[in-house]
Amino acid sequence: MTTKDEALIGHLLRRAGFGAGKMDIDRFVKLGYEQTVDWLLDFNEEDDVNDALVRRYHPDKSVTHDNAGAGGYWLYRLVTAKNPLREKIGLFWHTIFATGYSKVTNGKPLTDQVKMFRDHGTEKLDQLLLKLSQDPAMIIWLDNVDNHNGAINENYGRELLELFSMGVGNYTEADIKECSRAFTGWTVANSDYIKQLAVRNSIWPYGKLAWRYEFDANDHDSGAKTFLGETGNFNGQDIIEIICKQPATARFIARHLYHFFVSDEPPVPQWLYIPPQDPDAIEQLEKVYFDSGYDLRAVLRALFLSDFFMSEGAYFKKIKSPAELVVGLLRLTEEFDGPMFEFSDRNSQITFMGQQLMNPPSVEGWHQGVEWIETGSLTERVNFSSQILGDISKPGIHKVVNKVIQNCGEKYSSTDFVDYCLMEIGALEASERIREILVDFVKDSGLEEINMSEDRDLAEHKIADLLRVLGSMPEFQKC
Amino acid sequence: MNDHSASASKILAYSHTIGLCVMEGRGFMFPVDTLISNTGRMHTISRAYTPADSQKRVTLYDINSEFYGIYGRFGEGIGEFKWPSAIAEDQQGNVYITDETLNRINIYTENGDPVGHWGTSGNSDGEMDGPAGISFDFNNDLYVTDHLNGRVQKYTKDGDYLLTFGEGDLNLPWGVHVSPNGSIYVADWGNHRIVRYSADGSILACYGSHGGGDGQFKNPSSVAVDTDGNIYVADWGNERVQILDSTGNFICSLRGEATISLWGQEFLDANYEEAEPRSRSNLEPDVSLFNGNPHEESAHIEKFFWGPTSVKLDNSGRLYVTESNRHRIQVYCKL
Repeated sequence: MTTKDEALIGHLLRRAGFGAGKMDIDRFVKLGYEQTVDWLLDFNEEDDVNDALVRRYHPDKSVTHDNAGAGGYWLYRLVTAKNPLREKIGLFWHTIFATGYSKVTNGKPLTDQVKMFRDHGTEKLDQLLLKLSQDPAMIIWLDNVDNHNGAINENYGRELLELFSMGVGNYTEADIKECSRAFTGWTVANSDYIKQLAVRNSIWPYGKLAWRYEFDANDHDSGAKTFLGETGNFNGQDIIEIICKQPATARFIARHLYHFFVSDEPPVPQWLYIPPQDPDAIEQLEKVYFDSGYDLRAVLRALFLSDFFMSEGAYFKKIKSPAELVVGLLRLTEEFDGPMFEFSDRNSQITFMGQQLMNPPSVEGWHQGVEWIETGSLTERVNFSSQILGDISKPGIHKVVNKVIQNCGEKYSSTDFVDYCLMEIGALEASERIREILVDFVKDSGLEEINMSEDRDLAEHKIADLLRVLGSMPEFQKC
Repeated sequence: MNDHSASASKILAYSHTIGLCVMEGRGFMFPVDTLISNTGRMHTISRAYTPADSQKRVTLYDINSEFYGIYGRFGEGIGEFKWPSAIAEDQQGNVYITDETLNRINIYTENGDPVGHWGTSGNSDGEMDGPAGISFDFNNDLYVTDHLNGRVQKYTKDGDYLLTFGEGDLNLPWGVHVSPNGSIYVADWGNHRIVRYSADGSILACYGSHGGGDGQFKNPSSVAVDTDGNIYVADWGNERVQILDSTGNFICSLRGEATISLWGQEFLDANYEEAEPRSRSNLEPDVSLFNGNPHEESAHIEKFFWGPTSVKLDNSGRLYVTESNRHRIQVYCKL
């Protein structure tokens, strides 16, 4: 029942966004695939998220001083942003440049960091890495605040090379030291006070302060350095320029993009030993990276327009992260158009599934793919999906149910109900075996025999029951 | 900004700051409104984190930071609340608190002992959807901004419905205030203006337009009027307080001048590890670093208002600004 165009747009919106209902899919099918890609990548439109509304009802999400407030505020953005890619790109970089509340203990710098990802995450990689290196949350998270002229702390320098740009095996220990020297003096204002507040997780006297970057020229090592074979009086920006022209960087970033947007790769520590599943795809992205002068928007555009992305074989090959799953559901239900007391509970739900936004388990971020699925988290995922999809009181779900009834017209079969429901919640595909089970479920429910005009309420609830079952099918856990 | 502060000094002078950010007990956690009672006691509502059961409370204290205790807690029983929003006092000294999610008004004695509650959810006359602001008139009747219904409703103090007005005029109204001359002033949050009504609900005047200039507002949250008719507005989205004369002409703007409160100083005295590096820190960075974004300015510059949610006046004309994001009250004296 789903056309090829609808299936392709559905695939794009699941990967570049968080999935979409039939109405959005129709809109973008009409616009065209390439034009939809360009619309997604165009971040020039004014930020459409109503910050004032969330701040009025949830002052903790205005200050974002703890991780619940900061994570909740981000969830609000993820759910309400018109352009989902603007937020998803933040999620992408958050999984790579993973910075956590457990050490930062202040949600405002973390919120500021995600905003930086949103604002610069599709620009040129050198610009993004420069912003990252001057990011106060990162400076505290990886101890660059303790990286001094004559007494380096290698933490940031090491991870910049190992986890943020090139990957293990492409530099030496000496390069790490020289890199770290170049970033001495890149610190936060009021560093002693900020460090003390972070260590003590202090909210006194007047809540938490925002942090800001500061360059301390007196603490910067401006001497000669030799880094990746080049010698000069390099500062941090020079180091980033050298990093960005390395083939290893192009390969590493391309594989991350593939991993996040196309198909699950093994965890990053294994990349040294396990080659990419599609080396040609990585090569294509590397080429665009260099041809465009490290332009991430150009690389993403090439990715979304590539055969390896658009191929039907790529559909439903990724396991949704908890954030993707919950955000997708909440966008579908349309329940956050106004204030909701339950807002914080929704954010907690992501945590229960194994992903606490703003608080990754380590600097390595989260292991993704099948590692999202274990006994406890799967139960949470299925229960939450089913509960949300079957709740007809939610405006978006009620719309889906009404649309299914409208599509069925006057003559309908159990198969119609299954197909229309799959279509309306995002051009979902079910295997033949699952589809048979669903059709049997509808038959057993008696939905087929209901007279819609006489027993509309009963029909609506039985369709909601079917949606509840769809939430438990394996395909719904994938994107 | 400095010019505004200078002109403000002609009618107001900063006095002191009260408060401390604490999860329980003496202090506040995301305070949203303050009552200055006829006895001089101050009652500040801590809205707290949405799910933080133990942090929601009313703190009872006075202008000299003398702490008398707390009352109210999370829940749906008598004296409990979920999303407390505003507080007012009747002529007998009983205290009334609106709850935006339970759609009711809680009643307490002046000492905080729960008395009861009233209110029904809905959008018919007398029903409520998100009671946000509250103020008594001189007949001991009360006005409530029924914000999600976009209107103001008037009740007796026992909850008998009297009047509805503002439908079609107001967009998510927040604070409401009955002025000394009996006019009803409403902070029309979604329309970025202050609307003045007569006691029977007729519009008398509108003040302000959307913007950051003098006399303009961005999501005003609260309004108070003194005996001279001057209008004090919590210009929430611009993170400032503006004062207009009785005809709506701009007089001055306040950006906040907080100093360390008594409770804050006691904390710092006991915590040298924080007090010492704080004493070496610059907590007033150049405002130009923040590209004219008031929210960011206030996040970085500690003395500035951040989330000035409520403005209240006492019988001496003192101004009290409750800042939800800085967990404190800044007090200004009238000159």
